[in-house]
Amino acid sequence: MSAGSVPSGYEVKDPGYPTSQENYLTNSKGILSWAFTLDHKRIGMMYLIGVSTAFLLGGLLALGIRLHLFAPDGILFNNGLFQWLAPDKAPNDIYNQVFTLHGAIMVFLFIIPSIPAALGNFLVPVMLGAKDVAFPRLNLSSFYLWVGGAVFFVMALLASGLDTGWTFYTPYSTTTDSSVILATTGAFILGFSSIFTGLNFIVTINTMRPPGMTWFRMPLFLWATYSTSIIQVLATPVLGITLLLLIAERTMHIGIFDPEYNGDPVTFQHFFWFYSHPAVYIMILPAFGIISELISVHSHKRIFGYRFIAYSSIAIALLSFIVWGHHMFTSGMSPITTIIFSALTFTVSVPSAIKVFNWVATMFKGSISLTTPMVYAIAFIFLFTIGGLTGLHLGTLATDMHLHDTYFVVAHFHYVMVGGTVVSFLGGVFHWWPKMVGKMYSEAGGLISAALVFIGFNLTFLPQFILGSRGMPRRYATYDPEFAPLHQMSTYGALILGVGLFVALFVLIMSLINGKKAPANPWGGATLEWNCTSPPPFYNFERAPVVGDPYEFGDIRWDTELDRYVKVEPEREVVPSETPAETPAHAGE
Amino acid sequence: MMSLLGDYTSSKLSVFPKSASSFSGESDWVFHFISIVCVVFFVPIAVALFGFAWKYRKAKGEPADSQTDHNTTLELVWSIGPSFLLVVMFYFGARGYLDMRSIPEGAYNVGVDAYKWGWGMNYGNGVIHPELHVVAGEPTKLTMTSKDVIHSLYIPAFRVKKDIVPGRFNYIWFKAMEPSEKVMSDEELKQLAAKDKEENLSWNYDERQCTPDGYTFYDLYCAEYCGTNHSEMQTVVVVHETQEELDAWIKQYSSRGPDESPAAYGAKLYERRGCKSCHSIDGTRMVGPSYQGSFGTMREIVGGDPVKVDENYIRESILNPKAKVAIQQGVAYQPVMPSYKGQLSDDDIYSLIEFIKSLGDASAAEEASESAADEAAETAAAEDADAEPVSVE
Amino acid sequence: MATTDAGLVSDAHEQPGHGHSDHGHGDHDHPSYLAHHFDTPEQQFDSGKLGMWLFLVTEVLFFSGMFCAYAIFRAWRPEVFEGCSQFLNTKLGAINTGVLLFSSFTMAWGVRCAQKEQHKLLTVMLATTLSCATIFLGVKAIEYSHKWHLGLLPAGLFSYDPSNPHPVGGPNYLAYICAPFAIITAGVAVWLVVSFLRGAKFQFECAKPLLVVCLCFFVGVGLGTILESGGEEGHHEGDHAAVAAVEGEHGGAAEHGEEHSHEKEGEHAEEPAADAVVDLPAAGAMVNESADLAVIERLASDATNTGLQDELAARRAQSQQSAGGILYDVTDDTSATIASAPEDVLRPSRAGVFFSIYYCMTGIHAIHILAGIGVLVWLLVRSIRQDFNRNYFGPVDYVGLYWHIVDMIWIYLFPLMYLIR
Repeated sequence: MSAGSVPSGYEVKDPGYPTSQENYLTNSKGILSWAFTLDHKRIGMMYLIGVSTAFLLGGLLALGIRLHLFAPDGILFNNGLFQWLAPDKAPNDIYNQVFTLHGAIMVFLFIIPSIPAALGNFLVPVMLGAKDVAFPRLNLSSFYLWVGGAVFFVMALLASGLDTGWTFYTPYSTTTDSSVILATTGAFILGFSSIFTGLNFIVTINTMRPPGMTWFRMPLFLWATYSTSIIQVLATPVLGITLLLLIAERTMHIGIFDPEYNGDPVTFQHFFWFYSHPAVYIMILPAFGIISELISVHSHKRIFGYRFIAYSSIAIALLSFIVWGHHMFTSGMSPITTIIFSALTFTVSVPSAIKVFNWVATMFKGSISLTTPMVYAIAFIFLFTIGGLTGLHLGTLATDMHLHDTYFVVAHFHYVMVGGTVVSFLGGVFHWWPKMVGKMYSEAGGLISAALVFIGFNLTFLPQFILGSRGMPRRYATYDPEFAPLHQMSTYGALILGVGLFVALFVLIMSLINGKKAPANPWGGATLEWNCTSPPPFYNFERAPVVGDPYEFGDIRWDTELDRYVKVEPEREVVPSETPAETPAHAGE
Repeated sequence: MMSLLGDYTSSKLSVFPKSASSFSGESDWVFHFISIVCVVFFVPIAVALFGFAWKYRKAKGEPADSQTDHNTTLELVWSIGPSFLLVVMFYFGARGYLDMRSIPEGAYNVGVDAYKWGWGMNYGNGVIHPELHVVAGEPTKLTMTSKDVIHSLYIPAFRVKKDIVPGRFNYIWFKAMEPSEKVMSDEELKQLAAKDKEENLSWNYDERQCTPDGYTFYDLYCAEYCGTNHSEMQTVVVVHETQEELDAWIKQYSSRGPDESPAAYGAKLYERRGCKSCHSIDGTRMVGPSYQGSFGTMREIVGGDPVKVDENYIRESILNPKAKVAIQQGVAYQPVMPSYKGQLSDDDIYSLIEFIKSLGDASAAEEASESAADEAAETAAAEDADAEPVSVE
Repeated sequence: MATTDAGLVSDAHEQPGHGHSDHGHGDHDHPSYLAHHFDTPEQQFDSGKLGMWLFLVTEVLFFSGMFCAYAIFRAWRPEVFEGCSQFLNTKLGAINTGVLLFSSFTMAWGVRCAQKEQHKLLTVMLATTLSCATIFLGVKAIEYSHKWHLGLLPAGLFSYDPSNPHPVGGPNYLAYICAPFAIITAGVAVWLVVSFLRGAKFQFECAKPLLVVCLCFFVGVGLGTILESGGEEGHHEGDHAAVAAVEGEHGGAAEHGEEHSHEKEGEHAEEPAADAVVDLPAAGAMVNESADLAVIERLASDATNTGLQDELAARRAQSQQSAGGILYDVTDDTSATIASAPEDVLRPSRAGVFFSIYYCMTGIHAIHILAGIGVLVWLLVRSIRQDFNRNYFGPVDYVGLYWHIVDMIWIYLFPLMYLIR
């Protein structure tokens, strides 16, 4: 299982910039060559397009929510336009469906697959130095399962909507007449998509590391992906069975969750959060991985506390399984259970804090380039820190009694999910975009998008903390007039945030049209993906890559004549190797 | 934007609603403690973040000043150090929480029935009212049940919240500290009530900032999403200064007064017991069928021959709503109404039937000519007007 | 069992794997069975094996959700589980356990055969495993159809009536379950004949074992039928004694049953068992209303008491309407409020929870058996084609692991469901 260490003297002179003209985008043509591709990079790109579409849809729904809440009685869904679209629905019903679908689409279709499936698929094998993931067919089927799940969600949207909240709490979900079965089937299918991705990555990282890629030479993004995959594999099946039982409850009244048949709704909550709390870490852990890469590459400095960051990812993955109860502090669990869950919840904050400290320490005395990805990464640390710290208010029992199910919670998890995951996703996309498509984007445009996202985001969600602590419950279609000013601020913020995201999209699309050709290593990164061309060739590496330290920036210099980063001759013992050994066992012979 | 600033003058700048229970002091203190700790951590992080980003900005290709990649002592310090603060937070949080869970002996007990989308506070002896009335300085215990889906009782001013889960009893207790004030005289109230009656409006708590009895109040929300009108599932808490005052308030709602007409009392029940959240009296289709002009008509029902809307049908529909589910214009209503069995006395049901009759009686119209029917409706309306819309003794 | 296998496998294949590890990529070096992105067969094998184990972990977690539900509800209502468990035929369960254990054995042997390149024996082993799987399903078909006939269904559909345990009429569930299998069997038989006539040797070789496999389903059905009818007497007599001891007063109910003429006298003993289910949990909480109804029901079962029968019919109709056409419980009609649930216990739904969990667990297990049959057929065809050799036997090994986990889950299910005493 372990690849062993690099045999001494195993280094090649060639810095490893391949020369092939063909890349993964051009080596075969036609729509079918994409539809049936087994190439992890193409699957990653298809995922990227898919999740971006879902993000767009979920984002539009979010804008709908914010616009509606501009006035205490709502202004959007009681407008004539919406009445015409849905004549048999009350404005409140439309609002309820919109926030439900916003949540469900963002969680199941966007955030969970965003970084692991889109960026992860593209990057994991390349960063690892492998030719592909371990099971390419499983990988493709995972993408099509995602598409299938998305189709079910769209069907639910078109049939009679979904108004249960993304949490599907019983008995509401067993009694409402909206399309719960379609949506849960969709989520069930998406669960399998997620499991297959996670399983693939665990196996890939375990068995396909090339010689020299020891566990502690892996880039931190791989550590984060590995931890994420563990959660995906261990938690998602429980969601699967929960949703299956929910479907059975609706169709056959099996009486497990529905109190009308002597079931227990709180059991459903336990089942649901046993998956969905770890799922929160499925969403944020890969973001940590991205930030570790971004901060170190753009500071041109070794990551500070590599082992602490790596171990803290694993620690978070494991701790995430024992804290689900903090979503249910007010549900009437026994006091002792509640207190235990509160104590366990506090433990999760330690590894998260370790990461933040280490990132800031990495920047100390670095050589920082304020590129778009770096600005996004800085925004991430700022926003995620707020999100994480406000989690303390919610983990503390006495204050959670007041704050639970209010806008404080909404603000908290948006700071983590949007300020954290989405911002790092954008940062990651900007960082690896040249690698993915081989084009550079406009730096100025990227920076403007980052600034707008940062300002808009804070304006949207900072007021929501105050709304929450002043007692505004979440999921309200209308509200007391005293909350109106803060809601209005929040709506203005959402508009700015929306503009920022569209600017980002525009910048990236423009780069495809008139972007400069990207060099192999535009940022001066040291991980393996910067060793292959941009975009990478079909099999990623012309020859087995030389695995070095992923954070050794000493031998990467900016060449002003060539106008790009080059790898300088390392001042080490160099022994050319004619036939790169494939297995450690052989290398040792 | 000016209005934004205007609203944040000193008194409203607080991040909390008014502190009005014995828990709120503790809860707010813990909140502020955590907030201060957060600021103490956050400010240096933010300063370092932006400071480093600015200070160590360098041109492309310049090597970093340092390649230090770890410092075990430092890392252990910042890993373990904050843990002590976490223990403190946990301790205070758990202590406050245990207080909330230890219900004192002899607390004043009010039953809470939550349903889609309203509240019924049960004060015993058949007095059920949507407003929650308690006594200042005395512990109050709420015994809560839900008839349909999960709700959650949330009183921001008291800093308490508890889910109400169907199929089980959940309890919550608090000691209200700040009594409500009586801000409106009975005269003014009568005028306002009469005005509402004229314009066919219900009492607007937010606008008037007092209850129909003239008290200031604290908001009470449903905090667990429960469907269409989740956001309207709100009521108010009134804190009386003495038990006597509360008893007097309860007494006036205990039953129909001797000189009150059944239809007028039915109108009150309609407001008070949640009928109005699903049944209109002006013919609009809501969750349930409208009362207007329904009496005496033939009604299509699910899985059976049409039935006449008469006393027996209404009675059955109140006690056993799912027995005959109405269909209007080919669309069946959702069978979501909870049963009111054991919650309305015979007289209450009688009053409601009279109230529905007063909104138009088709059977009377059949017998008499059309103009006579109008007359009947007018009489009924007149009868309503005679009776005091909101009785304040 | 599975772990032993794993050990065996990796031992057996360590040495030959090295032959291919010298040259990195370059497709000309790749044996046909080695995927392009793997460097060596053992890397491919290790990946597959790890992937399979992870998949099995997800399977176990998937079932663990249901085991949790089982544990929660059994802890709440032990007496319901005890009472309802009497309705499960232990003999059929035991037979199925034996069949699955044997299939695990043949599967493990099959893996060994693949490693030793004993192609014929591998085919035989896989066919035997498949046959065991279909026998299992045949027996399960008998169990299910019998319970559906009695109305022992999940809470919402539960319609078991202790006073009339063998309702006359109703759809022939067994026929519905058997129909698809009969069609497949016929199809395979036709295929066998056609391939024989056309001289397609390979197809003929495939169809032969598959026909045996299909027929085994009906062997299972026959076996189940014999055991179900033969075992009835002793099985339920025993229950009667046990339950009557607990629930003496209801012993009289059995007499009622005798008025109905049923083919199987022994079935009457089920009544007190049902009563135990129904009344034991209620002992603390059940009050007047549902007790009244029970009395009405019992009295109404007398054919002469037409008045009460009407009353009962009326209540049923009402509750049927209120539940949107689904019959759940007569006691539920007047008090649709959930808050009052502790007082008037909905009796079938109490018993129904056991059957809900029973159907969910055994049903999903049966789906896994079906999936297993699917992949085993694929293996069978490949083994007839002699695809596997000492360097490449991964698929057999992985499917073996899967099969063992499916068996293991049944081995937990069997005592938890059938043997609660």
